[in-house]
Amino acid sequence: MEGRFPNRILPYALLFPSIAIVVAFLIVPSLQALRLAFFEVSPFTGRGLFVGLSNFRVLMESDIYRHSLEITLLIAGGIVLAGMTASLAVAVLASQPLRGLGVYRVAILWPYALSPAVAGTIWALLFDPSTGPATLLIRALTGLSPNWMMNGTYAVWVVVIAAAWKMLGFNVVFFLAGLQAVPGELREAAQVDGAGAARVFWRITFPILSPITFFLFVMNSLYAFFELFGLIDVMTQGGPGGATDILIYRLYQDAFISARWGMGSAQSILLFVMVGILTALQFRFAGRRVFYG
Amino acid sequence: MNTRMASWFARAAKVLAVTLGVAAAVGLGAAPAAAQQPVKITLWHAMGGARYDAITKDIAAGFNKANPSYVVEPLYSGSYAEAVTKAIAAIRAGNPPHIVQVFEVGTQTMLDSGAIIPVTEIVKPGEINFGDYIEPILNYYRVGGRLYSMPFNSSTAIIYYNKEAFQKAGLDPNTPPATFKDVEEMGRKIVASGSARAAITFGWPSWMLEQSHALANRLYADHDNGRNGRATQVLFNEPFGVEVLARWKRWADEKLLAYGGREYAPNKAFLSGEVAMLMQSTSQVTTIEKAARFPVGTGFLPRVEGQPAGKSVIGGASFWVLKGAGRSPKELDAIVKFFKFVAEPEETAKWHEETGYFPATKTAVGLLTKRGWFAKHPNHETAFKQMQQGIDSPATRGVLLGNFVQIRNITDTAIEKALSGKLPPKEALDEAAAEANKLLAEYGRITK
Amino acid sequence: MARHGWGALLGTHALLALATVVAVFPILYAFQVSTLTFQEVFAFPPKLAPGHAFLANLAQAWERVGLGTLLLNSSVIALTVALGKMCLAVMAAFAFTYFRDFPGKGACFVIILITHMLPLPVRIVPTFQLMETLGWVNSYQALTIPFFASATGTLLFRQFFLTMPPALSEAARVDGAGPLVFLVRILLPLSANNLAALFMVEFLYMWNEYLWPLIITSSNDMRVVQVGIKMLVATDAQAEWNVIMAGVVAAMAPPLIVLLLLQRSFVRSISLGQEKG
Repeated sequence: MEGRFPNRILPYALLFPSIAIVVAFLIVPSLQALRLAFFEVSPFTGRGLFVGLSNFRVLMESDIYRHSLEITLLIAGGIVLAGMTASLAVAVLASQPLRGLGVYRVAILWPYALSPAVAGTIWALLFDPSTGPATLLIRALTGLSPNWMMNGTYAVWVVVIAAAWKMLGFNVVFFLAGLQAVPGELREAAQVDGAGAARVFWRITFPILSPITFFLFVMNSLYAFFELFGLIDVMTQGGPGGATDILIYRLYQDAFISARWGMGSAQSILLFVMVGILTALQFRFAGRRVFYG
Repeated sequence: MNTRMASWFARAAKVLAVTLGVAAAVGLGAAPAAAQQPVKITLWHAMGGARYDAITKDIAAGFNKANPSYVVEPLYSGSYAEAVTKAIAAIRAGNPPHIVQVFEVGTQTMLDSGAIIPVTEIVKPGEINFGDYIEPILNYYRVGGRLYSMPFNSSTAIIYYNKEAFQKAGLDPNTPPATFKDVEEMGRKIVASGSARAAITFGWPSWMLEQSHALANRLYADHDNGRNGRATQVLFNEPFGVEVLARWKRWADEKLLAYGGREYAPNKAFLSGEVAMLMQSTSQVTTIEKAARFPVGTGFLPRVEGQPAGKSVIGGASFWVLKGAGRSPKELDAIVKFFKFVAEPEETAKWHEETGYFPATKTAVGLLTKRGWFAKHPNHETAFKQMQQGIDSPATRGVLLGNFVQIRNITDTAIEKALSGKLPPKEALDEAAAEANKLLAEYGRITK
Repeated sequence: MARHGWGALLGTHALLALATVVAVFPILYAFQVSTLTFQEVFAFPPKLAPGHAFLANLAQAWERVGLGTLLLNSSVIALTVALGKMCLAVMAAFAFTYFRDFPGKGACFVIILITHMLPLPVRIVPTFQLMETLGWVNSYQALTIPFFASATGTLLFRQFFLTMPPALSEAARVDGAGPLVFLVRILLPLSANNLAALFMVEFLYMWNEYLWPLIITSSNDMRVVQVGIKMLVATDAQAEWNVIMAGVVAAMAPPLIVLLLLQRSFVRSISLGQEKG
């Protein structure tokens, strides 16, 4: 075959480190998690007691876990909907030939460099119930005094805002790249035909954007499910009153604070099922234009 | 690679690691004995913020200076829960610290860990004058007559109140409420007069429920509060507990109670003058007095009327000694000397002044009285006086539960559900009791 | 391009400026608060100009949580993992695209792809147990080695290599150059953008990782700066925002710098990926 090297051993050598690490640190532990989910484990001796489906049954029946799932879906939904809509709007605005586009793009990308923990800390400050600028702004505009430390609904909002804010730049960059792939002539032709800006957008731009949109949907969902631990741990610790008790935080509490390894692993498996669904959707619907595959 | 192979490998690796670990520990253990190095004691604690300085700069440094052949090395390990988790992980790894500070909620866990050395075993008779210690504090950490851990920062719950708001409402600023009925009557006057937006709030809802049981000499769990065998059932959903929660709910309905969140979150509402009374830990008394812009009064935690007299329950944390791979006599001596140092009248008095946690010994209390400290800071004495009242019984010594952290979480949630009207008090507590009992059963199963 | 009036252009700029402010203001506010004293933080009306207490706050944060060690640890970990991931990803992608098909190639590809479906939380307890077994708890190894394999990176470079004209490597082969020489001398320079982009993404990811360092480190000499932030924030008393923000500034400065330096490569790498399909 043209352009390929004939070496027989070298490819194995090149692949070995990756495969070794994946097998040792990802695949084997994942299989062990599956096994551990059927046990109750003593934190002192590591000895396991087989309990069959008991852990899963407790998860299904318990109010606290059901609530945690609801909250996680709610927060994820908020981040995906609010975050991606805002990002798309910004990207559409920025996709015209503009001077200073580079400046806007870099600035909007700044939050992407921060950790969720840092983002959470900063937004906790912004929404400080007595002195935070965001609190004061909202009070001035609406007369409400949001206290996210006491009111669960506000806490969820602040979490969604902080998390969506952090992903804003990332989404914008990808949307921009996707929008650039929309042929200008197609849009112009539609406009010459008399289509309004909104129709042009929905009939032409959005369908062409759909692979990118879908890709970002998956990335944002994974982010909402798995990356928000730092934000929650620093800001709300799952509160107030369990209002922000997302699945990954529950997992940490059960597995590492209460040292219930079996129960923690059962929750890991449920999270895996959710990842599996998301990834399966991605592989099924992702077009060839999606970048990170 | 299938799971069986994987677990074989894991086990083989574990055996190898343990062998190497033991060899290393033996090798390392031999070295310091030969060297002239001061004997090092590691202490894992959860004192953050301003208390970090107190424990590191005052206590540890003070001890090290007074005992040049010993060195206590304090390590901040996060929150109470995180410190315990890390200690248990270290126990598994075979290299735990000498001393770990564990909150009262972790007592059962430590007792079942198989990794501790009870204090009574390392203290030679007469080395520490336990008779000088404040009895209820020792009783919390005593099971079956043996003292397992060394009290360090102990607290209890009291009621704080805004003297200015009381005056404005036409109440005597020197008479805090003594019963739930008092809270209701005084509270109504306060809200009616507009001197505060709400009458009362409290932190640590689960702890407050435990307190109300102890004050009425009622058990919170079976097996004598888990002190006579492991607890298998909680009792807070019995009529008494339901009545307490129903009472709180009525306060909330009358807008007397403004629930402000768990732990220390409601302090802000009290400090800002929004709420006139606050049931909270005495460990906050120094902070609250400093931050309040009004004169602060304190009183005994209000009781439910018509109940037998009990006693309020100890909170806070204590020092546990961990076995590790075995402690040398010098290490044990260092630990005992450290415990003695921490309880020295000057040291424990200073710790009390800086925080509000109890001074550990009667001598220290005497010292503070002589200095006129309590005369100048009467609020600091309230908790101590409260602990002197009432009786000692299993119901007042504090409940020991496995998975207590999780159970407190469940109870907190139940109380919040009842206060917000999501569930009637009985249903909320029944639901919480069912979950708690499941947790206790699970704990019992794996901690044979 | 359709023509827009001046009004529309101004409107676009205004909205974009608003988006920029929303994105950037919180960060700048954090910087500003880190320069105030404790009293100034709670002053009302709020003080808007920067103060002079930054160094004092930083010193306090430094002392309280050992910020120096934390920054060092975060740097070592982030650099090691970013570089390690790059190496392994390039090596794996190269093996997949530039050699005659070898037995097990498909299986290896699937194995690497699977990592997408196995984020840390899915295997966190057994991985923790594995660290205990290996004796890696509270060590650099635990914080770096498990992260070296990367599906994203491998796919990125595989896709990129596939777009290279076969003539390139054919010429090298004809010249007698071995595959490794080809990789290092010819492919890598061409991959500069992708390398920079991957480095940026992985450095940020590792610098900002919170959950794993939280559970796997137990002493200050191994802790990372993100956990240090939590330690600064978690107090019973009133949060000292000025000191906390000083710590936050220290925690966000390095990744912000990395972002500013490499973001163009990142963006370019995405755009080019889009065009090439």
